[in-house]
Amino acid sequence: MLSTALHRAAALALIGLSLALHAAPVRAAGALQVAPITFTERTLPNGLKVIAARSEASPTVAIQVWYHVGGRDDPSGRSGFAHLFEHLMFKGTRYLKNEQFDRLTEDVGGENNAFTSDDVTAYLSVVPSNHLETLLWAEAERMSNLNVDEANFKSERAVVQEEFRQRVLASPYGRFYNAWGPSSYLVDPYKNGVIGSIEQLDAASLADVVAFHRTYYRPDNATLVVAGDFEPAQLQTWVDKYFGPVARPAAPVPRVTQEEPAWTQDRVARLTGPKVPLPAVALSWLAPPVKQADTAALRVAQALLSGGQSARLYQALVYRQQLASDAGFYADLRSGPGLLVAYATAAGGKTLPALKAALRSEVMRLAQNPPTAAELGKAKTSLLTEALSARQTPAGLAQALAEAAVLEGGPAMANRRLDALAAVTAGDVQRVIRKYLAGPRQVVIEYTQEGSAK
Amino acid sequence: MMRIDRIAWRLVALACTSVMWTHQTSAQPFDSPPVPAAPRPLSLAAPQEQTLPNGLRVVVAERRGLPLVTAQLLVLSGAEADPPALSGLAALSAGLLTRGSRSRGAPAQAQAAEALGGTLEGSADWHRSSVQMTVTTPRLGEALALVADAALKPAFANAELQRLRAEALDELGVRYASPGTQASLAAQQAVFGSGAYGRPVRGTPASLQAITRTDVIALHRAHYRPDNAVLVMAGDIGLAQAVALARRHFGGWKAPAQPLPAPPPVAGAPGKDALRLVDMGAAAGQASVTVALPIPARGAADNPEGAVTNAVLGLGYSSRINFEIRIKRGLSYGAGSSFDARRGGGLLLASTQTKNESAAEVLQLVHAQLDSLLQAPVPADELAARKATLIGNLSRSVETTAGLAGQVAALVTAGLPPDALRGRIAALSAVDGAAVQRYARQHFGAEQRRAVVAGDAAQFEPALRAVVPGLVKVAPQATGP
Repeated sequence: MLSTALHRAAALALIGLSLALHAAPVRAAGALQVAPITFTERTLPNGLKVIAARSEASPTVAIQVWYHVGGRDDPSGRSGFAHLFEHLMFKGTRYLKNEQFDRLTEDVGGENNAFTSDDVTAYLSVVPSNHLETLLWAEAERMSNLNVDEANFKSERAVVQEEFRQRVLASPYGRFYNAWGPSSYLVDPYKNGVIGSIEQLDAASLADVVAFHRTYYRPDNATLVVAGDFEPAQLQTWVDKYFGPVARPAAPVPRVTQEEPAWTQDRVARLTGPKVPLPAVALSWLAPPVKQADTAALRVAQALLSGGQSARLYQALVYRQQLASDAGFYADLRSGPGLLVAYATAAGGKTLPALKAALRSEVMRLAQNPPTAAELGKAKTSLLTEALSARQTPAGLAQALAEAAVLEGGPAMANRRLDALAAVTAGDVQRVIRKYLAGPRQVVIEYTQEGSAK
Repeated sequence: MMRIDRIAWRLVALACTSVMWTHQTSAQPFDSPPVPAAPRPLSLAAPQEQTLPNGLRVVVAERRGLPLVTAQLLVLSGAEADPPALSGLAALSAGLLTRGSRSRGAPAQAQAAEALGGTLEGSADWHRSSVQMTVTTPRLGEALALVADAALKPAFANAELQRLRAEALDELGVRYASPGTQASLAAQQAVFGSGAYGRPVRGTPASLQAITRTDVIALHRAHYRPDNAVLVMAGDIGLAQAVALARRHFGGWKAPAQPLPAPPPVAGAPGKDALRLVDMGAAAGQASVTVALPIPARGAADNPEGAVTNAVLGLGYSSRINFEIRIKRGLSYGAGSSFDARRGGGLLLASTQTKNESAAEVLQLVHAQLDSLLQAPVPADELAARKATLIGNLSRSVETTAGLAGQVAALVTAGLPPDALRGRIAALSAVDGAAVQRYARQHFGAEQRRAVVAGDAAQFEPALRAVVPGLVKVAPQATGP
């Protein structure tokens, strides 16, 4: 529910969430030693980055293409466009019929999905390993030759609008989660969110589709990751054959230039919904970009505050004070400035002011009362076990490498991140809480039933 | 080979010339996908099992590679045994197992589990209650000690019961705000009437309020016994090591002398009304459209046919209902069906969400797709594709230790041998088009369907009443007791 990524199909959304939050592998924590991921890496002359990791645990292979374009890059007045575009990538190309990707994946015992986040759009397939070449052909084909007609465009736009209704309007806390980014950012286009609005989706046209593909869907803005059962030399031959001829446009990939300023005052956003079972509150602060070293300590802070029933926020707010029915902390780390969000839903009969104060105080307590060695060990062991669990499937392995490659500076970060997490000390946690939460300004987002006194 | 709309083709070609013609520079023909090589088959070790002297079955599904094991203690009783006024009792009791044992308070218990890197999860379904953990192999012994402590020596402290009840009530309040929850609750009630399957596993606000500590202790005493339990371990472990660990942590568990209570009937008489509307008022941001059907039990001979028929109807992106509702008409973010065959029967739920004003059209589309399965055999290409999707999902589900444990647990819970997992792919593969049509004719007839539409009734009631004059309007499940 906290994922900022929107998926093509709902069925995999939960898997995406758990990977998005816990993809950090930890090499060593306590007595546990986990072997680093072994992978190869190369860049084609046209700029396409190719990463491969072999695992023969299952006769399947994951093929993922991540484009470095997301909701942050939506054209002006077209909020929600990058995500709508993701849906259109399953329509026709020069040599692929509408939905032929489903024929090449589902129909042969595989699966496909895609998601759009603030920073990236990723296309995810898993197929029986004998279908690897077919998928490489198809990914190269839709990178080169997308061909959407008006009827398909309108029909898929209607699907995305239903997705908006399902996520935002029909879900009791949809409006609340959807408001975190827009209520927090002042300048960065992150403030427009990923799902957009019905009106701005209606404003989009087929001409926008053509321009967007030409601008962002190009080899020098993409990373191909293949993980699972394949023969390495054969893979590289096929990559050269299918992706090698894709042209790199001369114009550079446009990048967001607006810079989010440090927040100079606390702000409050008050939202209501037509059906809010229990009031909820979120506190947000700006996070450093994901490439910065402090993110390891922030991930450990998230685990200390939010990982399981022994975590600090659950123990304090839900268990001891019984003010909340649910409480957590989410380090939403991004290419640019991300968000650190502490959130809580009231327990039945409890009100927001007490909950808000308790939430803030419990987060800040991490700066005053640092974790004990046992508490820190617990957080690291949990992160390790989650990371290891995610690697059981070719898709999980591919995702760990892709995230590191596209957002964190290189696939090796999937392994280096382990060392960084293992090295985090109680003092580091205290320091990052002081630096990013205790000192800076915050945004309070309150969510209550419309027509009710708070 | 591809049909391209000419107008759109020109538009894209003009705008994207530099990209469009890229492939023409290559001598290689790129106009059709390469032909796949021969497949490498899935190899799945046969689950092995041994029974301890106290009657506890130990079932092991080996999957080496990464140092991970999922351990699940299954008690083969669940919500089916809940007294009607106390629905939710099995689920609340299983939840309380992880809220403190006689030797560890709830916070200490959570701390101990999470220090091992896993989470102690207690849950119940129709025919099982369980405690589960996934940990790295070196921590397995400690994890089993915690599982045993939680399941065999729970404290069932009154304060914890109050806490968990309050959390469960809050959670129901949130779930009841969704049209999807309202529709599925009404649908199972419509199909199973007063039988246990007609009541919610998680209970209702009223039944949760009625549950006492005495009820929880009585349930635990009657059902949590080694001769009604199975310890499943999946992952980086073999039978000998698993049995040794099971003896150490569960060997002292004694079965009581009295026999297990007989399970009550699960399926009552269905409601007579073919369509129910749940009016959630103008606050409902979408309508949930659901059609429910009773299906035979998991162990029934035609279960593979049922699973394949469901795959054609609503499994995966290219199923019939997703194609008609999402792909072709853009009426929903997704439509699908679940096939939940249990020990005493089961439920197929075809469901989707759409804007309120489209609900009547969408309901008609779901019925039309059910009709289509009765009217003609599924074409061979379509059948092969849907079977591949179903078998592919099954094969990928055992790529994780938790998924593998879940598949084994489902078989054991249904009273089937764990090795049925390996025969499952062959059984599904053998289903042909005639069998699908036969299954649909037998179980998907119009008289067996119970439909529910939950949402803002003002926007769809007139259209639905025109088609089904006898529809019944019901109030949503209320949050208060």
